[in-house]
Amino acid sequence: MYTYYIIKNSERGINLRIEAHPILDFKRGNPVSFTFDGVRVEACDNMTIAVALHAAGFKGISESMLKKRPRGLFCAIGNCSSCMMVVDGVPNVRTCLELCKDGMVVETQRGKGALI
Amino acid sequence: MLINTGIPTKEQVLSVFPPAERLEKGPVAVIECFQRIPCNPCQTACRRGAIKPFEDISDLPVIDGDKCNGCGLCVSMCPGLAIMVVDMSYSKDKALVKLPYEFAPLPKEGDTVTALDREGKPVCDAEVIKVLNTAAMDKTPVVSLAVDKEFIYGVRHFGSAGVPPAPYNEVSSQPDDISIICRCNDIDIKQLHDLIAQGFTSIDEIKRISRLGMGPCQGRNCVPLVLAELSCAMGKNVSEISPGTYRPVTRSVSLAAIAAYSESKETLNE
Repeated sequence: MYTYYIIKNSERGINLRIEAHPILDFKRGNPVSFTFDGVRVEACDNMTIAVALHAAGFKGISESMLKKRPRGLFCAIGNCSSCMMVVDGVPNVRTCLELCKDGMVVETQRGKGALI
Repeated sequence: MLINTGIPTKEQVLSVFPPAERLEKGPVAVIECFQRIPCNPCQTACRRGAIKPFEDISDLPVIDGDKCNGCGLCVSMCPGLAIMVVDMSYSKDKALVKLPYEFAPLPKEGDTVTALDREGKPVCDAEVIKVLNTAAMDKTPVVSLAVDKEFIYGVRHFGSAGVPPAPYNEVSSQPDDISIICRCNDIDIKQLHDLIAQGFTSIDEIKRISRLGMGPCQGRNCVPLVLAELSCAMGKNVSEISPGTYRPVTRSVSLAAIAAYSESKETLNE
């Protein structure tokens, strides 16, 4: 069996967001909230879904197709397809590029995603 | 080794320090710049011309100890935080070390901090004498520490007093058997090595036998890694190996978008 690190979603409730940074200033957008697999997640409208989930402690956001290994935020620029999730019923959404909207429903995608 | 760890050796550090006679005279900049890269903000920042003009932008800075008065302008200008100012004339038994410090929170004047060496190991306790953080310094504050004179060749950084520094672990660059090559179709490096050993030595062959590069990322992540592995296995330069057949980039389109497109075409035809 593989001995890779499983990044569990058990760290929910924590805030990994950097509030004060020595170099960067952060422009936070308007607060919004959405649900991830039924759990309410607070975010801002100028951050992407994957980033909001990562900051909220949800590090495993999808799984690999064959071996069901956990996948987290990887390239964060829309290249690697590690962050594909079901957003408002639409599968294969690259959540690292998709901005958060108030009330959207985000679910973990199992396998290739059903179109109908 | 500087190239692997970023930590210069004692000899390298001593080679950039001004001679003891110059140090005794007063503040002077010490530039620990060991690698030729195209970078010259220190040279342009100095108003006294104490850093000798570069013939090539990649030249290493050479400081003229007679012209430098240790003002510290170059300290916050260096993008690599490679410059500090040492003032041996600060007091009878203490020297002043001005360090760039891009961390939060900034210490306050009068605080006691733990001075650290180039490996991050504690050297001694030090008092914060001055914290400079003006707009012109562009968020690279300069913190002045008073340390015993014997430690000036060791002190390069500092941390909060009482907080042990994180241990330095050398990270292995060798991949283990489960290092993932293809994230979409779950191919790890062991599977790839097995395929290469079986004689599949081109991207197209590996793609057809293992589906590597045929997932939703369309080979953006795995193909460069496979090229590197093939290059090692076959002793060829990457430029001599074909990157395989690339088809036009596609992305998933919703059926609703296609339906809307065909409907708009129908109305056009009518």
